[in-house]
Amino acid sequence: MRPENYQAVNHPPSHEYELNFGPNHPGIEGNYALKVKLQGDIVIEARADGGYLHRGFEKLMENRLWIQNIALVPRICVPDPVPMEVCYSLAVEDLDDIKVPERAQWLRVLQLELSRIAAHLFTFGGHAATTGMYTPMYWGVTDRDLILDLFEELTGGRVYSIYNLPGGVRQDMPEGFLQRVTQTMDYIDGRLKDYDNLFFTNQIFIRRSKGVGVINQQQALEWGVTGPNLRACGLAFDVRRDDSYLIYDQLDFDIPTEDAGDAWARTLVRRMELVESIRIVRQVVQALPDIKGPVRTPIPNPLAWRVKAGDSYTRVESSKGELAYYIVSNGEEKPYRVHIRGPSSMHAVQVLEKLSVGCRLEDVAQTMFSLDACPPEVDR
Amino acid sequence: MAKETKETKETGSRKLLRSKTSIAEILDVAIQFEKTAHEFYTNLIPNVSKNLRYLVEELAQEEQEHFRLFSELRANPEIEKQLSTMVPTPPSNTRFSLAIHAKDLGESPDDQTILQYAMAREHAAMEQYGSLAEEVEAGPLRELFTYLSLEEAEHRAELEKLYYEIVHSGGV
Amino acid sequence: MSSPKTIGNKAPVLDYKSAGSLLNPLKNLQFLGRKAITEPLQPRLASLNYRGFHLNDWEACVGCASCQKICDNAAITMVEIPGLKNDPVKGIRNHRPAIDYGRCCWCALCVDICPSASLSLSREYVHTCDQEHIDSYFILPDPNGMHKKHFGQGWQKTEHSDLLSLTRSAMAELEPANRDTNFNEIVHGFTPEQAVVEASRCIQCGMCHDSCPTHMHAPEYIRAIWNGDVEEAVRQIYRTNPFAHVCGRVCTRRCETACSVGIRGEPIAIRWLKRYAMDQVSHDRIKQIVKEDGKPKASGHKVAIIGAGPAGLTAAFDLIRSGHKVDVFEALPHAGGMTRYGIPDYRLPFDTLQQDIDVITSLGVKIHYNCRIGTDKTMAQLQKKYDAVVLAIGLSKGRQTRIPNSEHRHVYRAVDLLQKISSGEEFELPQSAVVIGGGNVAMDIARSLARLQKQQFGEVKITVTALEQQQHFMADPDEIKEALEEGIIIRDSCGPQGCEIDKSGKLIGLKTWKVVSIFDEEHRFSPRYDETEETIHAGDSVIEAIGQFADTTLLGEQLTEKLEWNRGRIKIDPNGRTSEPWLWSAGDCVSGPDVVHAVADGHRVAASIQQQLTIKTNKS
Repeated sequence: MRPENYQAVNHPPSHEYELNFGPNHPGIEGNYALKVKLQGDIVIEARADGGYLHRGFEKLMENRLWIQNIALVPRICVPDPVPMEVCYSLAVEDLDDIKVPERAQWLRVLQLELSRIAAHLFTFGGHAATTGMYTPMYWGVTDRDLILDLFEELTGGRVYSIYNLPGGVRQDMPEGFLQRVTQTMDYIDGRLKDYDNLFFTNQIFIRRSKGVGVINQQQALEWGVTGPNLRACGLAFDVRRDDSYLIYDQLDFDIPTEDAGDAWARTLVRRMELVESIRIVRQVVQALPDIKGPVRTPIPNPLAWRVKAGDSYTRVESSKGELAYYIVSNGEEKPYRVHIRGPSSMHAVQVLEKLSVGCRLEDVAQTMFSLDACPPEVDR
Repeated sequence: MAKETKETKETGSRKLLRSKTSIAEILDVAIQFEKTAHEFYTNLIPNVSKNLRYLVEELAQEEQEHFRLFSELRANPEIEKQLSTMVPTPPSNTRFSLAIHAKDLGESPDDQTILQYAMAREHAAMEQYGSLAEEVEAGPLRELFTYLSLEEAEHRAELEKLYYEIVHSGGV
Repeated sequence: MSSPKTIGNKAPVLDYKSAGSLLNPLKNLQFLGRKAITEPLQPRLASLNYRGFHLNDWEACVGCASCQKICDNAAITMVEIPGLKNDPVKGIRNHRPAIDYGRCCWCALCVDICPSASLSLSREYVHTCDQEHIDSYFILPDPNGMHKKHFGQGWQKTEHSDLLSLTRSAMAELEPANRDTNFNEIVHGFTPEQAVVEASRCIQCGMCHDSCPTHMHAPEYIRAIWNGDVEEAVRQIYRTNPFAHVCGRVCTRRCETACSVGIRGEPIAIRWLKRYAMDQVSHDRIKQIVKEDGKPKASGHKVAIIGAGPAGLTAAFDLIRSGHKVDVFEALPHAGGMTRYGIPDYRLPFDTLQQDIDVITSLGVKIHYNCRIGTDKTMAQLQKKYDAVVLAIGLSKGRQTRIPNSEHRHVYRAVDLLQKISSGEEFELPQSAVVIGGGNVAMDIARSLARLQKQQFGEVKITVTALEQQQHFMADPDEIKEALEEGIIIRDSCGPQGCEIDKSGKLIGLKTWKVVSIFDEEHRFSPRYDETEETIHAGDSVIEAIGQFADTTLLGEQLTEKLEWNRGRIKIDPNGRTSEPWLWSAGDCVSGPDVVHAVADGHRVAASIQQQLTIKTNKS
């Protein structure tokens, strides 16, 4: 017996079929999924499924005090939470004309760069896993843990540091912290050649990733590609340098670029950025002891704090690309509207949908990871 | 009227105290002293305005309490053994009389006057017993006088606190 | 500082772009020989400022619920703990935060805002249980930690992380040079900007409301001021206090003692905020706001109130709004009681007090001035004519020290002199004076005389002596500070022993002994003196400001005898009713000297009378 409203499904020709890629796939984090249409093992169409976590961060933020959002924003991007805090704080500081003490700015940069290193270690491990190499993943995650140790010591929390507040950072760093930062940097510096041997100069990786998911400069600009993904197309744009914030203009660092625009180039840019970030961290470690003063400009009682009316578009360079907060304040104790311009929604939806077409099925996960998209941030 | 009764009786007590020389007799005088005071305050109660009566009532009650305490002491078998001990007559002093003439309570005394009177009385009694204790030789008699003196001192201190609480309220 | 540009290595030269040898990964075979990394099952010790499970010092915690308010996950619930201390006057509530670890995100904002600094996080972070014990995720943090094993303090409040603003918004006042020859009001009050900043410091814990004798809606009016809605603030103020201008200036402000922000910092200036709201709204608008409830239906009952002070007039305010006819009998030519005749103009300008009184009389309260009960009318007459009588006669008589020579005609009572000054009566201004007492009345008389001396003689010769040490004076610390600024000498720990008189009979000073200790072990007043340290404070007058008492002679012998008394004061039930069913008593004469207490008393007797009259109406 069939229901009255039964309609026969029009099945596609037998060599075309649809596949739900994710959400429970090692190459895909979080609830994100791709619906791919395949012809044989070649993708002919891909539709991104944001996962509908229904966390509704942007809406939630409208219902919380300005300060409460500090505990909320890091959750938007689990692998790289620090830029979320810093960017939100910078935007609120911009709205309310709060001047951040210099020492706090240096501490923020220290934390941002450590977070970038941690995020890149995580990503290259993940990328390796999508090509079937699991050892780099273990290595990446293990070494990232050392940076989490530093975060724990500095901020009291390993992943969600919740260390930045509008006005500065919540506490000064503990005694001897910089020494341990140097130790960890020395260690990771030493590990780089091991990573190279195992992964970055590994023929398996090179052959798997070269020519996969190519973005040319034109496409990159049209699609809103930012961060390492953009720099892998040969465009040396970096918010830290081109729209400098905090004290980045006082630091010496290069912006590595590649020209190929493929999965290989993107991962290679991240590998080179590891070195640059370590350089920045070392500069901060050297400079910080001479920068005295408070670490926070006091804000009014947070239970009755109204941020001046206005709007602010504030951006930072996260490990995944340009991250920006657009905040509108009505002069109330809560934001009127918050919009987050996250890099991952561009990369994981409009870019990935296009790049996947023509890929072989086994390269879909790799393409995704080479774009370094963070699913929780796709569905904000 | 009440005042006169008190004066004659207490002047009498002083004489008694100086002439008596056994512990039993000294205790009797002390008991008498408290009893007179109790009667004095009891007689005063109806003569003060009702709002101050609590004060006089309390004073009467405390004297009654002392009377009871000293009477019990008198009946204590430990003391009884010593009761007949004869001691040299302590030399006379005038401190008790000071207490007796300390303050004229007047027609309608207020709370402050009553307290001042009561304090002066306790103070004099305390000094009297104290000096008696100094003047006799060490032994049960001295211990007794010291004890009596301390009792009166304690009572005086209590009154003083009450006085300060009532009078020196601090003015907001 | 060396330029950081010179530091940092260039990227190591490695040819990533080279195809890379197939054998490269084999180099990592070296790791085969290394010892494996093993992690023990035992939890690793967390960092020194780790944000682990909560700790709460129950002794320090006051139950203000700020942690609950700032918690962005609604993980904190305030739980009432019946056995704990609950002392609204001190600002302590028997509530403690309970944490739901199903919701907590360990952001530690609760720690950073905690006004008492009782809350902190520990270094403990492992908890697990089976389904049956799922409740164990809901805990009441104490100093011992979640599993009664103290892992040490983790995240704690530091001066950097403290989120409260502990210092008051500045407010302008007259400099000593501009105030020492006049009675102009010293405090200017907040400007709108200052008031909003000050109001923003409030954490809305409501300790002020609980501690206030009349339970003013301080959190509400502070919030209204913060929102820029001063009319709403006035509306909130008038819910409980018709002496709003007065209490905005001279309140003893228990609210500020109880204020949670005051535990570690300066309490919110609740009094000045109240004053700000009242000053911002025009007098006519205030009258409109008060009348917003509409006119009540006349009840046909009549109430007499003796004394037009804060207690009497508050009762009148309530009773007239309940529809009763109210007659107030005032012995003096002006209303206000002690606030009119005891508090100098520089603290409470007469006009401001008059505004409060005008609001009350505009409702229809009739005040009969210069009508002294006991002489002009008797209590018996009132009893006959009125359905209820309220005795709100205050503490009008000054206590005397009765030290030797204190009967001298140049020994005065402070309240008598203050009354003379405020009613503009002529009196012999002393060239130099010694004041006995360390309370606000002592400061009032000292500072008033100082102004007059400065006007007339060009110099101030006033010494204030008191039994207490200066830091324990009953007077408001501001009063002491300002008195010193105005050239008044303060000699603390001085017990008055007698007035000194020279051979011609002229008063030349006050003799004091040094006070060694002032309280006994039970903290009862029991000063001990050092007789060897004797001081003569020179002065041609001595002013006693040691305390006041009520003059109850108006009651008459018969009523005095009929009434029940409690240690010298008329005995009243919790509603202010005396042992006589037609007579209530309120204010300083039964509750001791305090304006806001008097206001609270006024409300209490009014409610009791209202209840009584309703019963009467229903019966008839």
